[in-house]
Amino acid sequence: MTEFLGLVLSGLVTGAIFALLGSGLTLSHAATGVFNFAHGAVGFVAALLYFELTSGGGWPAWPAAALTVAVFAPLLGYVLHRLMFRGLATAGETQQIVATIGLLIALPALGLWLVEVLGLPSVTEGASARGLGPQPPTSYEPLDGVRLDSDQLAVFALAAASALGLWLVMRHTPLGLRMRATVDQRALATWRGVDADAASAQAWMLSSALAALAGILAVPALGLDQSAFTVLMFTAATASVFGRLRSIPWTFAAGLALGVVQNLVAGYGGSLTEQVTGLATGVPAILLLVGLVVLNRARTRVAGTVAQDTPPPDYLADLPPWRRVLPWIVGTVVGLVWVLFFAGDYWAGLVATGLVFSLIFCSFVVVTGIGGMVNLAQASFAALAALTAGLVVGHGLPFGLAVVLGVAAAVAAGLVVALPALRLGGKVLALATLALGLLADQVLFQIDAFSNGTLGWKFPAIVLGPTDTSDPRTRIVLLLAVIGVVALLVRNLERSPSGRAILAVRSAPTAARTAGVSAVRTKLTLFAVASAVCGLGGVLFATFAGQIYATDLRVNLGFVWLAVVVLQGVRRIGGAVVGGLIVGVAHEVLSYVTDSTHVEAILFGLGGMILARHPDGVLAQFAEQRYRRRRKKAASTEGGGTGSAGPLDSSHGDTEVEDSPVERPGTRPSEEPALRLEGVVAGYGDTTVLRGVDLEVRSGEVLALLGANGAGKSTACAVAVGEVSPTSGRVLLGGDDITTTGAVKRARRGLYLAPEGRGIFPGLTVEENLTLWLPSTVDRARAYERFPRLAERRDLPAGSLSGGEQQILALAPALIRPPDVLIADEPSLGLAPLVVRQVFALFGELRERGVALLVVEEKAHEALELADRVAYLGQGRITWSGPRAEVDADELTAAYLGIRPTGRPVEEGRA
Amino acid sequence: MPRHTRTAAAVLLATALLSACTTTENTGSGDGAAGVTDTSVKIAGILAKTSATGYSTGAAEIGAKARFDRANADGGVHGRRIEFTGAEDDGMDPAKGATAAQKLVQKDGVFAVVPVNSPSFGGGSFLEQQGVPWFGWATGPQWCGLRTAFGYNGCLAPEPGAGTQTWWGSQVAAQLGGAEGKRAWIQGTDSTASKTGVSTISQSFTAAGFKIAGTSAAIPATAPPQDWLPYVNKIMKAEGGPPDVVVSIMAGAKLNAGLFGALKKAGYQGAISDATSYDPIVLKDPALKAGLDGVLASPQFEPFESDLPQARQMRDDIVKASGGGAVEFTQHMAVGYWAADVFLAIAEKAGKDLTRESFLKAAESFTYENPGFGRIEYPKDKKEPNGCGALVQLKGAAFEVAQHLRCTPNTPLK
Repeated sequence: MTEFLGLVLSGLVTGAIFALLGSGLTLSHAATGVFNFAHGAVGFVAALLYFELTSGGGWPAWPAAALTVAVFAPLLGYVLHRLMFRGLATAGETQQIVATIGLLIALPALGLWLVEVLGLPSVTEGASARGLGPQPPTSYEPLDGVRLDSDQLAVFALAAASALGLWLVMRHTPLGLRMRATVDQRALATWRGVDADAASAQAWMLSSALAALAGILAVPALGLDQSAFTVLMFTAATASVFGRLRSIPWTFAAGLALGVVQNLVAGYGGSLTEQVTGLATGVPAILLLVGLVVLNRARTRVAGTVAQDTPPPDYLADLPPWRRVLPWIVGTVVGLVWVLFFAGDYWAGLVATGLVFSLIFCSFVVVTGIGGMVNLAQASFAALAALTAGLVVGHGLPFGLAVVLGVAAAVAAGLVVALPALRLGGKVLALATLALGLLADQVLFQIDAFSNGTLGWKFPAIVLGPTDTSDPRTRIVLLLAVIGVVALLVRNLERSPSGRAILAVRSAPTAARTAGVSAVRTKLTLFAVASAVCGLGGVLFATFAGQIYATDLRVNLGFVWLAVVVLQGVRRIGGAVVGGLIVGVAHEVLSYVTDSTHVEAILFGLGGMILARHPDGVLAQFAEQRYRRRRKKAASTEGGGTGSAGPLDSSHGDTEVEDSPVERPGTRPSEEPALRLEGVVAGYGDTTVLRGVDLEVRSGEVLALLGANGAGKSTACAVAVGEVSPTSGRVLLGGDDITTTGAVKRARRGLYLAPEGRGIFPGLTVEENLTLWLPSTVDRARAYERFPRLAERRDLPAGSLSGGEQQILALAPALIRPPDVLIADEPSLGLAPLVVRQVFALFGELRERGVALLVVEEKAHEALELADRVAYLGQGRITWSGPRAEVDADELTAAYLGIRPTGRPVEEGRA
Repeated sequence: MPRHTRTAAAVLLATALLSACTTTENTGSGDGAAGVTDTSVKIAGILAKTSATGYSTGAAEIGAKARFDRANADGGVHGRRIEFTGAEDDGMDPAKGATAAQKLVQKDGVFAVVPVNSPSFGGGSFLEQQGVPWFGWATGPQWCGLRTAFGYNGCLAPEPGAGTQTWWGSQVAAQLGGAEGKRAWIQGTDSTASKTGVSTISQSFTAAGFKIAGTSAAIPATAPPQDWLPYVNKIMKAEGGPPDVVVSIMAGAKLNAGLFGALKKAGYQGAISDATSYDPIVLKDPALKAGLDGVLASPQFEPFESDLPQARQMRDDIVKASGGGAVEFTQHMAVGYWAADVFLAIAEKAGKDLTRESFLKAAESFTYENPGFGRIEYPKDKKEPNGCGALVQLKGAAFEVAQHLRCTPNTPLK
């Protein structure tokens, strides 16, 4: 019993560190949607700084810790936010994963490189910093036989205090509310004046500080050991997963429990942990896998990743096929001639090594490039195939059989990984593959019979006629042939019915399912093909090296691979080939520049940060550049004309529409329009939606903007609130030009948008929803007085209200603290007629109080009853506008159908 | 601006590649006299200078340089100077090790690779295939039984049936005044390599007369545990009470200091011995120093603190090679030093007509003794360790010789 208690108590101390690290991970993920694989790396560099300050600079522990946690870490978080995370928030999930993996590689290397360059005390094996507790530590024995020392108590107290502080900040401060609002509905938060970008920055700063504190608390036991910190990070990830990546209290509890479980397994695992090598080590990985599969099924989007993960435009589409492959053929031939006849053995060897990696990287093209899934266990697949082949060869069986069985083993493993992939998507899948990879390293490859213990397996060279693969040139030719076959296979896979099925599942899983595309078979095919390619690469890697050990291809190696191949472009085989060659020669090329081994890691890792901006890799960049040049050239030869369609094309359109402000129709006068759009041309990418729109709303007036589906009404709203910037034209608020002002500032200057759907934060309580626009308690009290229903539900999450209540909640703040301008996008959508009347009554009330209202509606009836003036939007232009009294049914019909009544130019309808 | 940057980057990369490509004229593979001229022999090493865990064997470079410098000062080997060009870093990555071996042989054209010191060296099969001799610390099975691989103190990863060392057990027994009735606990980490080590070292202690109180290989290998309690409990509650000696085969000061510190806190009174803590970094870190105080470390050479002439000579040579001043002596320096020493002895025997072939021929039946590291006998010691080791003990602020280097007969590995 004493032993049990002792194990639990001291397990809680270890757990506190997991909990702290996990909480930071959960916080940043919940606040920004990015799962930071580099969270442990932040802890490592913080610990490194702490070490340099204390052991190197002779600082006392507490000031050093304070500087690291309160100054350095938030600063690092802010810099990373600016450089990388900000761009990632809207990127596809694959890019998010790869970019943070890149950071995981680069950040510690950067820290160690700086230590090297600045000549600071170097980090040697076993180097660590002292703990924050008193020195020397005192030991207590609270119960007979249960010992705790002051260091442990300090760790636990600090972790608990930080957790409490974090909870208070998140729940009870405006800062926390802003962060949670941003997480809940990022765009809406912006429209309510919350600077979502600043909230994300704050989340990253806070999360970095937590990582730093965890790093400082962990380093006395762990030492400044990069890989140990990565292991710690994965344990923290387990805690975070048990918090469903959202809940900080649950993450914290899970972290504590994990520390205890680990201790109990180590203490009572008995002969099982002694006999099954790696079982004790693998506890967090096993729990990670269980947690992912049980708790974190992706609910909406499954496997293939996300809708925004669309393939890049094909910049070579306008080129004939021969022109597309020409650079590759020329490159290959020139390279081949050089390497076969001119390069020495050494360079031939480097190229051969690089091409083995190229082959392995081709598997990333299949699973990530085509399938949109991230498999972090690719190195383990290669190792599995190589060890299996080694086992076969080691038992005297023929090499051909070894290749077949090695590849088969990898395929089998691929199918095992694909099973969670059926239910998980994106980062959850990536984490699951990571857990499997760790388990392979820690348990499977530790089985003596499989990996032949520390002896490993030996491979003979492959004899090909007069030559064999001990000659690098033979290896190169063989590898090129294999890669060529794989390239053909990949091309056929993309073009075949199953390839189209893959794309369908990737971009719209639900639609694909409805259309009868089997996601199950598709994903299984992808993983099987990728694993086969990877397995073959692994077998050849081992064969050409002459041997394979269980430790040759560790799971972490896969991270570097992923970063390199994605940097070159993961959607095409070319990227994989170039990536492999880079891995092969990078060390040699860099040795001409620097002696530091960290530079290579920094460069590979920086790939991740580049990726945040250019998600399709370096090769696609070149293609895009050439495409732009071709376009430019074509445009100039056409003679004078603007090459691009769109903006300038349609600008003459606004001459058709009135230039001068609309005559004030009937109600109250006011000099300056509250909101005015002038000749606004706007759209998305190459598509122009608004082709010169003029609109104005005055205070105390309701303008109904009507139009058919797709006419550009929502785009007009988006331009008004600052969500979409116009390519030409101006937006004026109260006479001031706000065209370049951001959405947050517009909201703060009195522009209120009730967006399409419900303009509420479903994850926040009613009270919190109101607080965002009504920070003062008095104002909120007035809101509750006005709407007793809301008062009854003030502590419920807004998402649990009925549709009508939600719409009232969305508008209530505006009623208490009226904005200058209120834009309501489809306010009646999906509401019962009774509620619609209630909502429009509120609009009437707001008008009475002098608010300028722009009400956008597809269904015209209620809007027309309320409106002072009406404007029709059709095909990106205002086709008619005038006082309500002059609205005629034909005009309305024409506006909706997008046609003009014959013989009547649009101007005539104007008042 | 971004376009210019990209263009510049592309040009830079192309230039770098081109400049790299033009330096590939030297392809001396298969040439038995590669790296040897009338006046010089070209040598370089491969070490794990850096690694993700911070473990480094980089100091072996200065050790080897020290020994080669002295050889050169004494007139070289048969009139040829040793041209030692330093060591490559394999970062503890087998693939990088293989590339480094290719670079040294095919690009730099070295005669032999000395010293090699990396726990997971991956260049062995290439060097064997090219017939290039390599010398160093043969801690892994990739060394054993190869024609070209030479561990300065033999092969430390023998296969079952081959001889395994008994010196560690005997030296500890000598230190404790005999093994009669004493019980040893052998501790490893949760990996297959460590498990093999536990059974090998158990045999060494059994052969010396110890009883095995218990063994464990369950400490997580990937990161030192934050909490040592469960592992300490196992040792303290071993059948028959706490053992008389705890032997750790775990590598790394952090792991060992953590376990030993926790053991002492739990009231453990017996002796402690490990393989890797004879390291000056221990003296600098208060936590490590406290954890490792009194621990018997087990170097496989005559310790630097010894007053034997060979140890003194090694110290002097290393100080000289480092440019004078205070030097922190490490195990890896000695590994580099003695690897170079054995290489020189074989080169001496190979005679004036030095080629890789003549060198390997000379090594085919070769015996050499030196009180600095014991003795070596090829080909026997290509399959088993030389069976020699010493004990040093950390006492307060310094290491002291506890037992001078001694060689004991090997026993067949079960």
